Amino acid sequence: MARVPGFRRSFRFPWRTADQVSAEVEEELGFHLEMVAEELAAQGWPAEQARLEAVRRFGDVEGTKRFCRALEVRKETRMKWMETLGELGQDLRFAGRQLAKSPGFTLVAVLTLALGIGATTSIFSVVYGVVLRALPFAEAERLVRPYFVSPEGEPRGAFSVANFLDWRAESKTIAGATAMYQGTMNLSGGGGEPERLPGAFVTADYFSVLGVRPVAGRTFAPDEDSPKAALTVVISEELWQRRFGRDPEVVGRSLLLNGKPHTVVGVIARGTQLPAGADAWVPMVFTEDDRNQRGAVYLAVVARLAPGVTLEQARAESDVIGRRLAEQYPEANASYMKGMTIKPLREQIVGETRKPLLVLLGAVGFVLLIACTNVANLLLVRAASREGEIVIRSALGAKRSRIVRQLLTESLVLALVGGAAGVALASWALKALVKLAPRGIPRLEEISLDSTALLFALGISLLTGILFGLVPALQTSRTDLIAVIREGTRGSKGRGGTRLRNALVVTEMALAVVLLASAGLLLRSFARLQEVDPGFKPESVVTFNLELPETKYTDEPKLRAFLAALTERMHRLPGVESVGATVFGLPLAGVDNTLSFQIEGRPPLPPDKEESIRIAIVTPDFFRTVGVPVVRGRGFTAQDRQGAQQVVLLNESAVRRHFPGEEPLGKRFELGWTSDGVTRGGEVVGIVADFKQNALEGEIDAQLFLPYDQAPLESLAVALRSTQDPQVVAAAVRTEVRELDPDLPVYGLQPMTEVVAASTSQSRFYMLLLGGFAVVSLILAAIGIYGVIAYAVRQRTQEIGIRMALGATSERVMRMVVGQGLVLAGAGALAGLLGAYLATQGMQSLLYEVSASDPVIYTGVALVLVLVAAFASYLPARRAAEIEPQMTIRGE
Amino acid sequence: MAKDTLDLMQGTVAVLILKTLSWGPRHGYDVSRWIKSQTEGVLELEDAALYQALHRLEKKGWIAAEWGLSENKRRARFYQLTDEGRGQLQAEVSTWRRYAEAVFKVIETA
Repeated sequence: MARVPGFRRSFRFPWRTADQVSAEVEEELGFHLEMVAEELAAQGWPAEQARLEAVRRFGDVEGTKRFCRALEVRKETRMKWMETLGELGQDLRFAGRQLAKSPGFTLVAVLTLALGIGATTSIFSVVYGVVLRALPFAEAERLVRPYFVSPEGEPRGAFSVANFLDWRAESKTIAGATAMYQGTMNLSGGGGEPERLPGAFVTADYFSVLGVRPVAGRTFAPDEDSPKAALTVVISEELWQRRFGRDPEVVGRSLLLNGKPHTVVGVIARGTQLPAGADAWVPMVFTEDDRNQRGAVYLAVVARLAPGVTLEQARAESDVIGRRLAEQYPEANASYMKGMTIKPLREQIVGETRKPLLVLLGAVGFVLLIACTNVANLLLVRAASREGEIVIRSALGAKRSRIVRQLLTESLVLALVGGAAGVALASWALKALVKLAPRGIPRLEEISLDSTALLFALGISLLTGILFGLVPALQTSRTDLIAVIREGTRGSKGRGGTRLRNALVVTEMALAVVLLASAGLLLRSFARLQEVDPGFKPESVVTFNLELPETKYTDEPKLRAFLAALTERMHRLPGVESVGATVFGLPLAGVDNTLSFQIEGRPPLPPDKEESIRIAIVTPDFFRTVGVPVVRGRGFTAQDRQGAQQVVLLNESAVRRHFPGEEPLGKRFELGWTSDGVTRGGEVVGIVADFKQNALEGEIDAQLFLPYDQAPLESLAVALRSTQDPQVVAAAVRTEVRELDPDLPVYGLQPMTEVVAASTSQSRFYMLLLGGFAVVSLILAAIGIYGVIAYAVRQRTQEIGIRMALGATSERVMRMVVGQGLVLAGAGALAGLLGAYLATQGMQSLLYEVSASDPVIYTGVALVLVLVAAFASYLPARRAAEIEPQMTIRGE
Repeated sequence: MAKDTLDLMQGTVAVLILKTLSWGPRHGYDVSRWIKSQTEGVLELEDAALYQALHRLEKKGWIAAEWGLSENKRRARFYQLTDEGRGQLQAEVSTWRRYAEAVFKVIETA
């Protein structure tokens, strides 16, 4: 500590206020002037004149006063600071010594806090990184997405070209709007393996609207999306690194995308990709036909609000434009939308992950609260044993505030040490979290323990320190001197302390119950999900995807020929039992492609009432390969080929929905899809069993299947049923495809069981995390109740001894002690169940076929808690039962 | 210099005060009288400057102040040299001495 100037004060004088300083300066100078005046008077000056002369000789009296006053006040402030710092140093050293004296207590407290703070910090990092942090675009909060509002009031993000162009032209509230659609591209040539790139087709102003700058080269020039422009591509930093080793020469180089050369114009920095994970962006060219296309909706639109425009203004304006578009073009728009709205871009990107993450953050907050409660309890118990010390200190004249400060310093030191340990824990936990997290959580790879997270950790450490330290500190400092002296050194905190400790334990138990109930609900929901029959048999099936580029597979015969050759080669692989392929139709990984339809013989519907059905295209062996049975009629055969009678299959949901009480077989469908003058559709020849198309927890859509030979498309998903190890199959598949077409990348190659596992990975992830928190909270609560009961037993040793001397059996004593624990647990469980009922109402949307107030879970949780509490109080109860009556009575 | 009294150079006041206090605690009036009598009125030190200097030195930690009673039993603020102030005085005195010697050497050889 720096030396305090001035007298070394052994006793501290109270600090002077500015008024006092002023008075002292006044007095000092006054004394001087009087002395001079007296001196002059002694030389014969008349008194009045002597005084004036003294002032005159002094010089600038007022200036000097001001100068001295300012100096003194500054000095005073500095000394006050020095002393505060000095005291803080004292408190810190003292706190350190006190904590070192009881290493057991310190270790338990620090570990408990580290657990709480570490868990909270890591979940906060995730929530902050995924949900709260600004998007990596310039002024990202001004980026919005327009949506159409469906006749049912649902937002619809997909725009047709004409609607997009009209809206962009009319809107005055936006500074710019860009459209894109997500797609994938085959990258081949240049020596490397052909690769499937996730990417997007975008208007040329895409990057300038987003405010993304390239790390190399440039983004698209304004006219690069015109039909005459040369083919260009912007690539991601990842691709640049992975495929080109960050070669700066990549700009200007030509890449073979879907078989056509594209010139690389620039590279986009890691983390600024939209859509996330995209590797390539290609300008989207609107032909004159596209510009008039109002029915086909496939564009996602992103816009930047004009300067000074609020979201509400833009929303109001878009609503007007939307209504007008709906009225003006009823045949194209009426069934699709009735108006328009605008949402922040962030909302769409963060989307569905927001809710479960906030639930997790809430849960982890509970863990932290429980940790705090536990440490507060430990402090209270410890405070009881420090009564002697406190009494002596206050007897020596320490003020209550000083003692409270000392005790608070101790808890802050504990909290900060715990926080430091917690940050270490969090940095480890965060890595594990990112690794374990399911796909589909956006922006997860960008998460780190950054300065915000560290600040957060520091903040909550301090907060917890005050939270768990303040109550015990106030309680302890209230120690009644006289009472303690009268009762001897082993004074008791009396009723108040016990009540407080009990209240804390009950709180802790209640919090644990809320967590247990939430975790239980998720667990049950997950179990339900596992029981769901997906409707197909994923075992021993390997699937993969192929995208046949239009540039090479220019017509339908080429597509058919490729698939025939591929199927033939797959069949020859050892162990392969059947081979099937589909477009859009892979179970759990389906592409939602919906077409309008007419059933022959039914009266045509007006455009806004038109019905639509999800479609997929399959080869004859597809359903056999993935294990979906044909329940009526027949499946497709090799005879259902091009030129033969057009046929279709329906799933059971389609039959229920569109043919209630009617015979579907033999009915004819006409789809809103015409190719080469042929309207797709055909006669229903069979019904296949329902299977889950999107997700295990999802509804099953009505679906119609077309034979591949009669409706070939480029996006293939191929399924192989094989007795061989999936790894071996995978290697063989790649070799065969390469021999067939060396430029064609194989992607999504995996056992079908993994597709199933991936579809439950989100709920598994959230369940495991919440379950982990619940277990931790249960352990903490158990420690809490154990501590309180053990302490109570220690305090009641004498009383128990007397009871036993008077004939109480040890069994009875045990029952009494365990009973005390159970009363606390019961109170905690009741409060907790009520809390859980309220807290879990918001969780309903995360649950699959489980009610948020599921009685089985609630009863189970309460039971678990009571059992754990019984066990935790059993240990001290046994010690109580072993008390020797003689010893205790004599002992004290 | 035609004047009878000399204006004090910056920094000189500090040395004078420190020297004055080296014989024991004094209040401001005492310091002023002592300096006047010791320099036989040659050095004109305005009281305003003196008090400002006293407070400045106190803040620097070279002197310390405490209230006490004057010879005529009135409350007065007494100043006292601190250890640090004593060290400072020695340093300044030796600087002054070397300075004066150098100046005299020049003047007397001329």
